[in-house]
Amino acid sequence: MAQYTKVAPGSTHGEIEAKPLITDPADPLAPVALRSPLRPKRSELVSQGPLEKAYLFWIVGASCDGCTIAISGATHPRVEDLLTGRVPGLPRIELVHTVLSVESGPEWTENLRLAAEGKLDAPYLIFWEGSIMDETVSGEYGYWMGLGEDRSDGRQITSLEWLDRLAPGAAAVLSIGTCACWGGIPAAHGNPTNAMGVMDHLGKDYRSALGLPVINIPGCSPVGDNITETAAAALLFLNGLAPLPEFDELGRPAWLFTETVHRHCPRAGYYEEGVFAHSYGDKECLVELGCWGPIVQCNIAERGIVDGHGGCMNMGGICIGCTMPGFPDKFSPIYERPPGAMLSTNTNRVMGGFIRRMRQLSQTDKMRSARWHDSRDLPSGWGRYKTQPVGAERLIHRLYSRKQHSHEGGR
Amino acid sequence: MCFKNLPITFDDNGKARLVDGVNDPYAVAVAEPRDYVRGALNRRSAGALAAPPRLREWSIDPVTRVAGALAVHTVLDLETRTAVEAHSMAMLFRGYEIILKGRDPRDAIDISSRACGVCGGVHASVSSLAIEMAFGIKPPPLGVCVRNLGEVAEMFYDHPLHLGLLAGPDYSTAIVSVTNPELVELASKTLAPHADVHGYVTIKDIMDALNPLEGSIYLESLEYTRIARKMCTLMYGKYPHPSTLVPGGVSTTVSTTTFNEYYANLGLIFDYAKRLAGIWDDICDFFLEANPAYSDVGLRPSNLIQTGIWDDLEVYDATYANIDAWGQARYSAPGIIKEGELLTTKLTEVNMGIEEFVEHSYYEDWTANGNGNGNGHMPFPTDALGNPLSPYHAWNKETIPRPEGKNFKEKYSWATAPRWDRTSMETGVYGRMWTTAMAQQLPDNPYIEATGDGLRMLLPAHDLPETELFWKVPAKLNAFERNRGRAYGVAFTAAIGMICLMQAFEYWRKGETRVSTPFKVPRDERVAAGFWEAGRGYLTHHMHMDKGRLLNYQINTPSTWNASPRDPFGNPGPYEQAIMGTPILESVADDDIKGIDILRTIRSFDPCMPCTTHMDTGRGVITREVNSCGCTLE
Repeated sequence: MAQYTKVAPGSTHGEIEAKPLITDPADPLAPVALRSPLRPKRSELVSQGPLEKAYLFWIVGASCDGCTIAISGATHPRVEDLLTGRVPGLPRIELVHTVLSVESGPEWTENLRLAAEGKLDAPYLIFWEGSIMDETVSGEYGYWMGLGEDRSDGRQITSLEWLDRLAPGAAAVLSIGTCACWGGIPAAHGNPTNAMGVMDHLGKDYRSALGLPVINIPGCSPVGDNITETAAAALLFLNGLAPLPEFDELGRPAWLFTETVHRHCPRAGYYEEGVFAHSYGDKECLVELGCWGPIVQCNIAERGIVDGHGGCMNMGGICIGCTMPGFPDKFSPIYERPPGAMLSTNTNRVMGGFIRRMRQLSQTDKMRSARWHDSRDLPSGWGRYKTQPVGAERLIHRLYSRKQHSHEGGR
Repeated sequence: MCFKNLPITFDDNGKARLVDGVNDPYAVAVAEPRDYVRGALNRRSAGALAAPPRLREWSIDPVTRVAGALAVHTVLDLETRTAVEAHSMAMLFRGYEIILKGRDPRDAIDISSRACGVCGGVHASVSSLAIEMAFGIKPPPLGVCVRNLGEVAEMFYDHPLHLGLLAGPDYSTAIVSVTNPELVELASKTLAPHADVHGYVTIKDIMDALNPLEGSIYLESLEYTRIARKMCTLMYGKYPHPSTLVPGGVSTTVSTTTFNEYYANLGLIFDYAKRLAGIWDDICDFFLEANPAYSDVGLRPSNLIQTGIWDDLEVYDATYANIDAWGQARYSAPGIIKEGELLTTKLTEVNMGIEEFVEHSYYEDWTANGNGNGNGHMPFPTDALGNPLSPYHAWNKETIPRPEGKNFKEKYSWATAPRWDRTSMETGVYGRMWTTAMAQQLPDNPYIEATGDGLRMLLPAHDLPETELFWKVPAKLNAFERNRGRAYGVAFTAAIGMICLMQAFEYWRKGETRVSTPFKVPRDERVAAGFWEAGRGYLTHHMHMDKGRLLNYQINTPSTWNASPRDPFGNPGPYEQAIMGTPILESVADDDIKGIDILRTIRSFDPCMPCTTHMDTGRGVITREVNSCGCTLE
């Protein structure tokens, strides 16, 4: 367990009166934990589950806010759908997040204090973004990441302290993004903060109030939909509407992270045929430019990054392994070809090259309509085209066609 | 002659040199920071004040609706209803550049991108620029163009996010009704001048639409960030953290679809930009007319520093020798504005005046002025052109992080204090427009004209008709003008997007479709820098490499300038300066004051803290605090 900061020397706490805490539940700048009980409940004839509302504490450690940006781009469901409780069967989420909360400062921090003391009127989740930095190496009074002041003595609270205080009572802890899951870039070689992932800090025996180990949604940044979908799946399960989502042995949503990104890559066909990009901007398979897709577990190729659009290899970017526990050190230098690719790409050049030529041969026949075939003519005004295969090629097409239609008695 | 404080002079050929006979040209005389509270308490005990000051301490930790970890300590004087003290604190340190040290320089693109998830594209871009300078390579025109278009799209996501989700709620009915109910009443009776553009009949209708989570402007801005991201991914592959930026251009596989899809979405942005300008004109003018004192909210001198963005496709050659020429050819001009006057648009002069101080930051001074933990080394007394550099310049910087407890007399932030000519400078999208308007160096084009006192922008028709907008250089730089500038910034960016897109079509038509240039990683020693802008303005990466490895990599970001703590001379950073003196204009009793005008001030800068604090590339030595003496209180 990390050490918590002490009241710093030179603290001027209490010298003058502090601005009073806003506690009127009707005030939009009061802590949401106080305001929320006044918000109207759903009025429905058919109940969509016992859980009407849940608090979500989105807390950051060594973070770049990229995961926050990622979730705000999600579309299935949208983050605002979750916050307004607009999706049937999903509880309304009361979000406590430094980027999106209405209240600031002491009022914001009060939400966390109330949760730690078990004084909320609904269960809470923790979404942790960013690595955990070791506050035992930031000195007695110092901090790598400060988040909120203790109103009683002016002590600087670290974000890590909040995790320690809130994790035992949380319904679930979700690590959002590679930093939170495995440590990520702040934990890369040479880092001064002894950074690590949430699992590393809480340990393998950690269980949430609902008995769950830490759930990990990796990616730097993750696909936004991977975050909201996993959250929605878990909440629908809690409301008895959907099956328990399946998680793999690293706590990742199994349906999102089992396949390699290469298997769904739009350029995988080039790989299969042994054709590789050599310059940035080329349309072919990117492995020889440094793409790690064939071994990286990620779904960005089929899901895109926002609303089905974009995606690394889809648009021409190599896979740098950003969803993986070994990122970044085990995937660097980033723009060098993975050593293993030498064997696999050259094997495919030979095999795939042969298959590609066979396919091209077959394609020349399939590019002609039955009418053109019979008339031995091509009516296109777009260019000169070899109208008819001759010689050996023609013979091959004839044999191919006979085999293709053999169960119909030949043609 | 743009330097007033640094002893730099220029000869007849315009070449810079240090003034002769100055013994220690970059000497730092440390001044004790002013302590308002202590001073007031002392005056009270001395009986100098008729009545005791009614001060309230407010530690806003965390400041929300900003990106990243920011805390602000402020003191409110209820007697005068003014904020009298402010300390801006960056709360997070990750040590990115220690991590970058020793790596392949190309890795800086992807790793430095992760310094900030809000504006990762700009970091990846500026890193590419720095590496291009170091490697001596120049991207083909379409490569530059794709980078420009990606950056245009990034701004389309950045500005609406701030205006709608972060700053907007502070002007909403929900919040104004608990701070200034009379303004809500007035707003309901005030017709919105731009109702025909944005569709909201009264000012209160706009304020309703700004309500968090429910208002249509709030919700719409989220949706527009998604449209912008789609545009951005066409060029950058992925967002946040682009996957297609490489040295010498981009690795984007550009096709006809790339530009067609971009164009289709740009039309939506044209209309959105027209509406945003109308909405923020109406909101800002309403407040400023209802109470002219609002023009003092967030007021500070018009001191701005900008590095320029969106390169000319042909002029940009990535060399330091031509940096002034390609800098001035940018669609958004680099430059320095001091007290409202444009001093220079030369990037060499911008670069020359930069220093970063750590007197009040959790680092140790690495220069000869330091107390011995730094080794006082100064590898670059001048740049490659012979211009003098300070030991506090990025190329000379060696930072030694030293986490310790916050103490406003000593150290209280993870942000350093960058200064230009030893002056506290602000940067932002409005600064970008400001320098561009005053520089009047824009190439001839149908969409933007710099008039010296503003920018005339022509936005093509979409659902809304073709619209001419004029952004006027503000007389006062305050919270309202920052937000208004940001709203007009969407139009400015859209006009540049249109120019760049037309260029992309032209090169595509000519068959000049290459987007990258081949290169080899050099093995010899190289020094380089990238100058670019983030949504919030100024952005530089300074690098030093040898034998194919990074020796030093320095990131300096817009919010490092804006959020900076006091400098050794005792001058506050821009947030601090803007807060001090901000009036509290709430019409409620003392104990019900929310401090909304302070929060409006901070948020008007669009703080973005993640990359503000990762400046260090030191030796990785962490010096732990040994001093636990409580004697710092006089």
